[in-house]
Amino acid sequence: MIDVRPVLRLAGLLLCALAGAMLLPAGLDWHDSHPEARVFVVSAGVTLLVGLALALGMNGLRTEWTLRQISLAVVAGWVVPLPFAALPFLFGALTLSPADALFEAASGLTTSGATVIAGLEHLPRGLLLWRALLNWLGGLGVIAMALAVLPALAVGGMQMFRVELPGSPERAMARGRRIAAAVCATYAGLTLGLAFALWRAGFSGFDALAHALATLSAGGFSTADGSIGQFHNPVAESLLIGGMVASGLPFLLYYRLARGEGRALLADSQIGWYLSLLGLSGLGMAAWLWISLDQAPVEAIRQGAFTVASVMTGTGFFLAPYAAWGGLPAAILFFLAFVGGCAGSASGGLKVFRLQCLFTAALIQVRRLLRPHSVQIVTFDRRPIAEEVLESVLGFLFVYALVFALLAMALGFLGLDFVSAVGGSAAALANLGPGIGGNYAALPDAAKGLLAIGMVLGRVEIFPVLVLFIPTFWRE
Amino acid sequence: MIDLRPVLFVNGLLLLVLAVAMLFPALAEGLAREAGASAFLLAAAITAFFGLALALGTAQPGRFQLTARQSFLLTVLSWVSTAGFAALPFLLACPGLVFTDAIFEAVSGLTTTGATVMVGLDHAPRGLLLWRALLNWLGGAGIIVMAVAILPALRIGGMQVFRMESSDKTERVGPRILQISSSVVLVYAVFTTLTALAFWMAGMGRFEAICHALSTISTGGFSTSDQRLARWDAAVQWVAVVAMLVGGSSLILWTGAGRAARAGLFKDAQIRWYLWFISVFSGVLALWQWAVNDMAPDAALRHATFSVTSIVSTTGYASTDWGAWGGFAHVVFFILLFIGGCTGSAAGGIKILRWDLLFALAGAHVGRLLHPHRVTVIRYNADTVAPSVLESVLGFVVLYFLVFAVFALALTTVGVDFITALSGSAAALANAGPGIGEVIGPMGSYRSLPDAAKWVLAGEMMIGRLELFIVAVLFSRSYWRQ
Repeated sequence: MIDVRPVLRLAGLLLCALAGAMLLPAGLDWHDSHPEARVFVVSAGVTLLVGLALALGMNGLRTEWTLRQISLAVVAGWVVPLPFAALPFLFGALTLSPADALFEAASGLTTSGATVIAGLEHLPRGLLLWRALLNWLGGLGVIAMALAVLPALAVGGMQMFRVELPGSPERAMARGRRIAAAVCATYAGLTLGLAFALWRAGFSGFDALAHALATLSAGGFSTADGSIGQFHNPVAESLLIGGMVASGLPFLLYYRLARGEGRALLADSQIGWYLSLLGLSGLGMAAWLWISLDQAPVEAIRQGAFTVASVMTGTGFFLAPYAAWGGLPAAILFFLAFVGGCAGSASGGLKVFRLQCLFTAALIQVRRLLRPHSVQIVTFDRRPIAEEVLESVLGFLFVYALVFALLAMALGFLGLDFVSAVGGSAAALANLGPGIGGNYAALPDAAKGLLAIGMVLGRVEIFPVLVLFIPTFWRE
Repeated sequence: MIDLRPVLFVNGLLLLVLAVAMLFPALAEGLAREAGASAFLLAAAITAFFGLALALGTAQPGRFQLTARQSFLLTVLSWVSTAGFAALPFLLACPGLVFTDAIFEAVSGLTTTGATVMVGLDHAPRGLLLWRALLNWLGGAGIIVMAVAILPALRIGGMQVFRMESSDKTERVGPRILQISSSVVLVYAVFTTLTALAFWMAGMGRFEAICHALSTISTGGFSTSDQRLARWDAAVQWVAVVAMLVGGSSLILWTGAGRAARAGLFKDAQIRWYLWFISVFSGVLALWQWAVNDMAPDAALRHATFSVTSIVSTTGYASTDWGAWGGFAHVVFFILLFIGGCTGSAAGGIKILRWDLLFALAGAHVGRLLHPHRVTVIRYNADTVAPSVLESVLGFVVLYFLVFAVFALALTTVGVDFITALSGSAAALANAGPGIGEVIGPMGSYRSLPDAAKWVLAGEMMIGRLELFIVAVLFSRSYWRQ
């Protein structure tokens, strides 16, 4: 048996943090003198109680984490907070059903942004803040996981992104702490900066903050049913495009830039690919909107860029119901949902670097056909990639495709039509949020449960969950 | 520069074969006393003229040999040129068909896709129907020869698993082609005859039985009726199921070359996956049809098995309009479009072998998460699979999805709707035939698509048929350098 105490302790600490976060909406509702504040306070109390019990009760000896404990911690870290995060939805002004509440919480914490709530404008502000906070906390978790945990687990080629910490263990530890602190500070700083900019652009202070929280985390919960489109604010839309693009960039990059390593931006080929894919799809989309749908060029570019950035980074904001735009936009968005952002960012999907590795490997195969005995090396950023990394990436792609197919079939089985099933499955796995459909309220409960599972699977990059099902995982 | 003469020589020979094949529909028209015979004779004459000119003009004395580069060019050129000439009878005998449609139909036939732009097949002249079936059959024969003899030698997408020991030393595609391929084609012909007989005994007319046999074993899917196989009764449909199953299996296992393996036909990893896969999905869909759509149990089982076999073996027949089965069926069939039959058959798609290896690879990765330093050996039929094979499978699958995405985007750009573009691209790349949706569903037709979309689809069928890499190589700069 593996020692689960450190895992439970970590889950307890996360719950304590969650309880702390619940006090913010409580404060806001209390300020608005809305009775909803009590729900948040009670939820925070319950969460804190369980969290403290776990954290203090499992406060055993400090030991090195094993790989199995890390896998288990990743899964537990995402699953355990879900029911507690759902408490305010369950008992608050909305009194959602348990399935809906869990779905909303899962969608928030995994930064998907799919919602079952209609009439967002009439909700107490505390609840809206809570949704945005869930996005933000989830985003923080994603970044932390992508920086520290997934590379250590070697999930699907992430071992390439191990942060090298030279020197003695103490120095490495100190440097690791510094990096973590710097990344958190950047994340928070960017959020506040975006909130300020949105406020200057004409959003109310609350809307600006809520949207900034949901943008940098690639979350996508809005405070209005019509998402950003409802605000009719072109300046804010442009700011949000910037924010979404930033959420798909590796957060370590900002740390490097801040340290004056300006060339890091150029040296990382992932970023080049990410930006060019984004630009290319944006242009294609804008051209379609301009030519086929007769939108004014400036409008077409803004709408195209916004939608492409929103879908590729897995944010899920929208300006207009893009399902009605026709064939090409639907196809572009469908494929972009699979691409996702850069490794080390808050975005979901397959991630750009994986596609890059695979593409290079495929090209090398073409070359090898002509010169069967030549030695060809797959490189990434001019560094050779080990064969097993490539195989991990391919294994990841395969399992991702498999889970997508199974999820889509299961959704179809529950009665969804082709486009909803395929689009919903892709959107859930990529933590995108609204699929090609819109609101998720009308789906059967079973479909909501499946989608929530898909979101968590996509968020933890599937493999940490898969290993739990290997019998030897639980054996000594 | 590459020496083009052997390439053109073989091309000329293939055109001659095509010209000879055109005589059969001419004969059928003549026997039925229909007017189309002269069109086929004219087409045959034109094709024969070009074929003879090419063959005689480039004939060389001495032993005939091809280098790897020449084989790449030969495969691409021969498919494209035969498709061009195969469109001639459609243009000449069918005044209603425009140039784009004729090319689409010919490409769809030769690549054994089975997507059609023709309607009113029940009243079409016999010569035309026979020609479509013959295209399927000839295309299927070409593919099997390619899959057995050429692809392994060229190391396309993991096909080197099937390399013969003796050919391992040399880079040249040698005389073994004749030896192996003639035995496989023999098996192919025998199965076609048996299928025709079975169809006839099950109650089809003689002519229909022959046409359907030709396009079943080749996993083509051209039918002689607008209603496809729904026009005939259950017995015929069950015969078709078995024939499609055989058509999608590795034909080499049935030949002398695989005599040792034949005893263990069901022990072959690929065949086992193939059968297992088809039965699971047939079962699930049959249950769905029975429980949700209230179909009678026997009809549900028959239609589900038929449709699943038809898509997995990339034949493309339909025994009923499964477009009306609802969202679940659509998703399932869309996913099945990517599976494909076994290697060494006329079926298209990614193919079971590659999925098998991918599955093993993913399993190895999961294992390595727990034990980072574990060495995993991936086996196929008890043989260890070399890393280079896995890498070429990887390259193939990646390129496959890339081509799928690019062509789906291209289809939407010319104005095709989302579902049609997505499923059409998948169906054309896998050489399956029908897609999903109102337009190109199992009982639909590609006729109403814009011309540009037809060209895109025809190109994609070719690329899919040539296993992507053969085409991709021609686009690499080093290919054309000395």
